[in-house]
Amino acid sequence: MRLEDFLLMRHELLLTLIAIIILIAEIFTDDFKKQGIRPLSIILMAIVTIVGFLPAPTGTLFGGMYQATDMRLMMKNILNIGALIVFIQSASWLKSDDNQNKVSEFFLLLISTLIGMNFMISSGDFLMFYLGLELATIPIAALAAYDRYSNKSSEAGIKLILISALSSGILLYGISMIYGTVGSVYFDKVSVAYGATPLQIMSFIFFFTGMAFKISIVPFHLWTADVYEGAPVNVTSYLSVVSKGAAVFIFSIMLVTVFQNIAAMWKDVMWITAAITMTLGNLFAMRQNNLKRFLAFSSISQAGFIMLGIIGGSELGMAAVVYYILVYIFSNLGAFGVIAAISNASGGKENMSDYDGLYKTNPALSLTLTLALFSLAGIPPVAGFFGKFFLFTAVAEKGYWWLLTIAVLNTIISLYYYLLPVKAMFINKAETSIAYFKSDGWTKVGLIICVAGMVIVGFASVIFEYIRTLSFGL
Amino acid sequence: MTFLFYLLAAVAILSALMVVFSRSPINSVIFLIICFLSIAGHYILLNAQFLAVVHIIVYTGAIMVLFLFVIMLLNLNTSNEPHKSQLTRITAVITGGLLLLVLIAATKDAVLIQAKNPADYNIGLVKQIGQTLFKQFLLPFEISSVLFISAMVGAVMLGKKDSKKN
Repeated sequence: MRLEDFLLMRHELLLTLIAIIILIAEIFTDDFKKQGIRPLSIILMAIVTIVGFLPAPTGTLFGGMYQATDMRLMMKNILNIGALIVFIQSASWLKSDDNQNKVSEFFLLLISTLIGMNFMISSGDFLMFYLGLELATIPIAALAAYDRYSNKSSEAGIKLILISALSSGILLYGISMIYGTVGSVYFDKVSVAYGATPLQIMSFIFFFTGMAFKISIVPFHLWTADVYEGAPVNVTSYLSVVSKGAAVFIFSIMLVTVFQNIAAMWKDVMWITAAITMTLGNLFAMRQNNLKRFLAFSSISQAGFIMLGIIGGSELGMAAVVYYILVYIFSNLGAFGVIAAISNASGGKENMSDYDGLYKTNPALSLTLTLALFSLAGIPPVAGFFGKFFLFTAVAEKGYWWLLTIAVLNTIISLYYYLLPVKAMFINKAETSIAYFKSDGWTKVGLIICVAGMVIVGFASVIFEYIRTLSFGL
Repeated sequence: MTFLFYLLAAVAILSALMVVFSRSPINSVIFLIICFLSIAGHYILLNAQFLAVVHIIVYTGAIMVLFLFVIMLLNLNTSNEPHKSQLTRITAVITGGLLLLVLIAATKDAVLIQAKNPADYNIGLVKQIGQTLFKQFLLPFEISSVLFISAMVGAVMLGKKDSKKN
């Protein structure tokens, strides 16, 4: 291994480095100086995000176990952006008395999950993929229970660890059968040798089920709402955006490369689950009053929409998936950022009825939330519209007209419930709406990045064109 | 060899059944230990010494002792075992049966695959495993250390004393 080879792994190595720096900073600072860890982590993360965008060589390492292609690097950069925004948004929440003594743990655990996601995305064999996946989920369970004295938070942590253990078990069962039938764990060997023998089909079903738990596709989504509601808002936002994005990325890569021989079969499976996911996610979202639960079900139905691009399977479809995740990061983090700011300032008010008349008292936050919800719903001036448009194009291109019809109908349904919080803020009258408060600098920076992202990513067509040049397809 | 295999297999299956059917949780754990030991025996028959030793140390030793501790601390016994309603039982039987049906349906057409390297008996030795682990699978090995650090940090975070609320 030459020294230049380390350049290929720069995302992971840099993240490991900042994890070590934070660990050392935690050990060698006293309680007073620990406040410096927040800005330190954010600045380090910002540097890593920027360095990730610098042009660098591509190639494979460790005999194909680690793969760095332009597309995978782009995916890692997108996840880095998402993590950076979560870091910035968490800054003011971490300053509160309850959380002061576990600030560095928060950053350390988030960074280690990010390392896991990056390795998972770059994986070239099932072993690396599985290890990355575990590294990406186990620390999150500890973070879901971050708010230790709240029963709901502990419940979220336990549920997340149990569900992730169960789904990992199912996934491993599938992987072991793949290894048993093919005799190799390397993606390139498996993709050639994979046929449609009964055992291999069964192994795919187990694999699909395990991944469906991680992305929360509908028959396997029941944990999502409880975990999202119980976990602290900032952890929920990370879970719903960055974790889900990473799982979608590797899932789409594996479907079009490793399982290309049985594409006709997994497309049928995806067709049905995508239709159910979109519809049920939407129907449940309509009934929610707690905004975190509301966004949980909205994220389930968004996962259904993302599956459209994977079903398309073409180069355009894959580009649409990556682009949509980028847009989704900005929009969903924008929405969660506002909810987190309000929840922190008002002592945990997270219900839709608490937001009545918010526009009168906090116009800037209301406008940001509105913009984010518009983007999630896919209303034209913001980026969400373009994301959905490309996904729909990818499906239409392959002639899945029924699926397209279901998707469009679901978009209309989703418009209704995305506008419910907007109605609460702008139209509903309230005797005691949440009083005016001034958010601190970090929150503002986080929200400004989200708003800028939603607007710029939509209008700058270079971004989509660039992703498309990197793209791959069946 | 064949006789040993059948003996171990019979012990493994019987003790696994006893894990499910015995009333007291302590007995279940003891039977689980027997089950694990007989599986470790299978590993030795396959010449996978390392796997057998690790299996005994980790599962039979560490994890089962943990199980026993938890059961003793929780003071579980037959009298306070939660009773499942009839409906739950029927649902569980139906879903379990359906899964079994799918598994059998999927495997009934399966063909036996020839072993890749039938003559390589040394593959499970400690030396071979060490060579593979530190050469071919160096990267996953290193990543698992990051996983352990993060698991430890998570555990410390959850167990940390609050400076103000004691």
